[in-house]
Amino acid sequence: MNARRILTVMHKEWREMVRDPLSLVMGFVLPFALMLLIGFGMTFDVENIPLAIVDRDGSAASRDYAYRFIGSRYFDFKGYLADERKAAPLLMDGKLRAVIVIAERFERDLLAGRPAAVQVLLDGAFPDRVRITKGYISAINAAATRELIAGYLSRRDGIPAAQANELLQPFGLEMRYLYNQGVKSDWSIPPKLIMFILFFVPAFMTSLRVVREKETGTIFNIYTSPLTRVEFLLAKLAPYVAIALVNLVVLWLLAVLVFRAPFKGSFTLFFAAGALYVIATTCIGMLVSVFVRTQIAAMLISLVITFVPALQYSELEEPVTSMDPEGQLITYLLPGMHYVRVIMGTFLKNVGLEVLWPEALTLAVQAGGLFFACYLLFHKRVKA
Amino acid sequence: MGEAALVERVGGHGPGRPPPAEAEPARPVVRVRGFGKRYRGVPAVDGVDLEIRRGEIHGLIGPDGAGKSSLMKAIAGVLTFEAGSVEVFGVALDSEATCERVKSRLGFMPQGLGLNLYADLSVEENVDFFARLHLVPERALAERKAKLLAMTRLDRFRERPMKHLSGGMKQKLGLACTLIHEPELIVLDEPTTGVDAVSRREFWAILAELLQEKGITALVSTAYMDEAARFERASLLYSGRILAAGEPETIRRLVPGRVVALRSGDPVAAMARLKARFTQVEARGPWLNAFVAGADAAGARAAVSDALAGVPVENLNVMDPDLEDVFVALLQNRNAGGEERPAARAAAGGAPRGGIAIEALELTRDFGSFRAVDHASFRVPQGEIFGLLGANGAGKTTVIKMLTGIIRPSGGSGRVAGVEMRAAAREIKERIGYMSQAFSLYGDLTVLENIHLYAGIYGLGARATRARAEWVTGMAGLSGHEGDAAGSLPMGLRQRLALGCALVHRPQVLFLDEPTSGVDPIGRRRFWDILFALSREEGVAVLVTTHYMSEAEHCDHLALMYAGRIVADATPARMKLEVEAEAGCLLEVASGAPHRAVLALRRAGYAGAALFGTRVHVFSRDADGDLARIPPLLHSAGIEAVSVAPRRLSMEDVFVHRVSALETRDPAAPGGRP
Repeated sequence: MNARRILTVMHKEWREMVRDPLSLVMGFVLPFALMLLIGFGMTFDVENIPLAIVDRDGSAASRDYAYRFIGSRYFDFKGYLADERKAAPLLMDGKLRAVIVIAERFERDLLAGRPAAVQVLLDGAFPDRVRITKGYISAINAAATRELIAGYLSRRDGIPAAQANELLQPFGLEMRYLYNQGVKSDWSIPPKLIMFILFFVPAFMTSLRVVREKETGTIFNIYTSPLTRVEFLLAKLAPYVAIALVNLVVLWLLAVLVFRAPFKGSFTLFFAAGALYVIATTCIGMLVSVFVRTQIAAMLISLVITFVPALQYSELEEPVTSMDPEGQLITYLLPGMHYVRVIMGTFLKNVGLEVLWPEALTLAVQAGGLFFACYLLFHKRVKA
Repeated sequence: MGEAALVERVGGHGPGRPPPAEAEPARPVVRVRGFGKRYRGVPAVDGVDLEIRRGEIHGLIGPDGAGKSSLMKAIAGVLTFEAGSVEVFGVALDSEATCERVKSRLGFMPQGLGLNLYADLSVEENVDFFARLHLVPERALAERKAKLLAMTRLDRFRERPMKHLSGGMKQKLGLACTLIHEPELIVLDEPTTGVDAVSRREFWAILAELLQEKGITALVSTAYMDEAARFERASLLYSGRILAAGEPETIRRLVPGRVVALRSGDPVAAMARLKARFTQVEARGPWLNAFVAGADAAGARAAVSDALAGVPVENLNVMDPDLEDVFVALLQNRNAGGEERPAARAAAGGAPRGGIAIEALELTRDFGSFRAVDHASFRVPQGEIFGLLGANGAGKTTVIKMLTGIIRPSGGSGRVAGVEMRAAAREIKERIGYMSQAFSLYGDLTVLENIHLYAGIYGLGARATRARAEWVTGMAGLSGHEGDAAGSLPMGLRQRLALGCALVHRPQVLFLDEPTSGVDPIGRRRFWDILFALSREEGVAVLVTTHYMSEAEHCDHLALMYAGRIVADATPARMKLEVEAEAGCLLEVASGAPHRAVLALRRAGYAGAALFGTRVHVFSRDADGDLARIPPLLHSAGIEAVSVAPRRLSMEDVFVHRVSALETRDPAAPGGRP
């Protein structure tokens, strides 16, 4: 191994990159922009659902019932509508996602002991959100029902309202959310995005830059020089690993400062595991470039083999245990999930190497294995 | 360069540096035996033997697809092969590991203008990169860099990014980068393709000087037959096989015979007679050339006169064949070219004759502050082949685009096929045919589909389409290929198909933008045959742009463009006469020590003396005097075996002379070479 040769190639690579606006954007602007765009856009919290109410009864009881929704933080009350026909176009435009229709004779039925009719219209275009909205409405409706019965009990038996309320809840259900007490998406999504972005951006960039040398013919300078294969791989990978490490820190800062995700664990562990992770993803890009000849092919293939896994097989959205066995196998073989676990461990759980060593070890093996694969497959004497 | 170092040397062949200890002096630097390479099962090179001696410039000459690049890459140790053996510096290249053993001792420059250089790095950074990659010590690097950049005249552009260099400068930089680690062997794959004639000459001169000085061995490929004279020894490659090898003179003698050039009052009839009798006949402007195999001067003259009995003949001259004639003859002998006679052409429509087909009047085009075309005026009569000659960027394509109505001129006007083009761009398009540099064909469509597509674009009816498709396949020799994808055809056929598509609507004016790059000599001759027939028999006016000087010889009339202006406008013969009147006639000096002969001649006041392989070319104002003066002059410098003979000027000589004169007068001209 000759340090001067390695430095020469690294230096050239670096100079070319900083002079190429496209590479600069890809290397430094893209990760930053993606973090902000996806971080703000991708939230699973369902709040401020636009709501309208059609109150056909107009009684004290119906107003009382309506206020339970109007006052909720989950709903953004847009106003009363005269009848539900007016609701249809607004639902269609997405200006409303939920409409509650309180029937005539609401109060009269209630007082008469008959079930009072309430109709709910929901926009079913986003199934997950609809399920959550439905949950909110059911819960508010159940609370209203319970209070009504509690008031009735308290008046009938002469007991305090609070006691009557307790009587109606024989199973005291108490939930505590660990690690993310507020169940806030902002706490878990942006940190996971660090994994997501650093999965495909380094792979993408590396494959493009190496294939470009093939496409133009400059790769022949490498082939015909005394530079060894290991020297070439080290020199070629190092600049992109370095860029990815800069991004690792930038994205970490964004998660902590902009998205206010709490970081409780060891930064050293987060960074060291991150370094292994980006070596692995950079090597994936190098592997792609060994097999293809054109930049367009490199782009497509590295997108397919890194973007999709980063999205689907990395515990970004769902835990590996809820996948079928094939999915689980893919997830375990790829570096994404292992690093997501380090991220969750250092951001939210404050656990260290004593718990995360299997993930760290796996990342190290993957980085080493991928580099070795590059070594085996990259040749300075080619078939065509 | 160190002139003293040169003068010490004895001949043209000894190495300037002592050979490495393990190599015997007699051992060739490269020895290839039975070499074979296949791509996806299709053989590209088959059974090639090649030997390159220490210190020589060995040429690999052949058209595109002959297998030159495969062979060169294998010798450079970067391509695997299936058959035979390749030995470099005595090391058999049989595995990736053995290839590594020779890499510090060789330099390789792949094909393509500047494609092995880094576009975003400056000239100096490129050189530094190559040097450090090969661990050249910093002090040696500084010295060699200064010298190489000075020789290549790139030292003024040290800071300039490679992507902003002209084609010729890129190739010179590529050469400097390839030589910076002082390899013993360099392999240059088509270093002069796509480079204008002036830069090409400069490139060869620098290469010869550097190789000579360091005793470097070189393997250089080219697709230009006329560059063969640059090599000490050469191998002609065609379809993956060696056709002939040896010194250019020896190869030339492989096919004895003479070329007879003549003019005739009835060129069509003369052409037909000659074609019936001789295998190689071609039209070069008003001249018809026929190769008479196996004949001496008198025999050739007699044979041609006999063949042309009854046809008016003027100016009959007998010449030695050039390498291209030999190449074609060799191909015909072994029947490798598959030369079928072009089918008889469908009867030509009565063509209007004598009128002016194209007229450019003070055509001017500005792009921002840059004037691409500057008051260009010329006329092309119906039935004439007109060549627009110039380096890349001289404005040729812009002229064509204005004349075809693709872009509007900033000033001036032009009439094409009798139509004022400013007013009626659409009408013009129906009367002209246009074939672009890229052969605008659809590679995934078949031959017939391409023809039908163009027929459809020009609105031909079903019957006319069928008739024209038949005509095109017959004219282009495409029978049997109708169902083949256009992209899979060999270069020559693809080119003729593109020509056919441009002719499908029977235009009276044909524009060809750089039409014949990379086509083998036989294919190129067939192409010019077709143009000859079109212009002579159907009266079609043909405007060709080219930077290939050998193509210029085929034109009836030439206009030379430089920096957007037309700087000369005459027949090829007239242009040559004008240059001879200005610079004198050309003398070719053969000797046993050509490198020293150049220096001796320059010292004696022949400033323009230039090396062409083993010969030296000098311009002489007093030919008879110099013919007598030069031999004793060289003898007194200790150079043996001197012979001097006058030589016909080539179009390349004319071009280089004209452009060099303009450059010295106007070095900062836009569109010229920087």
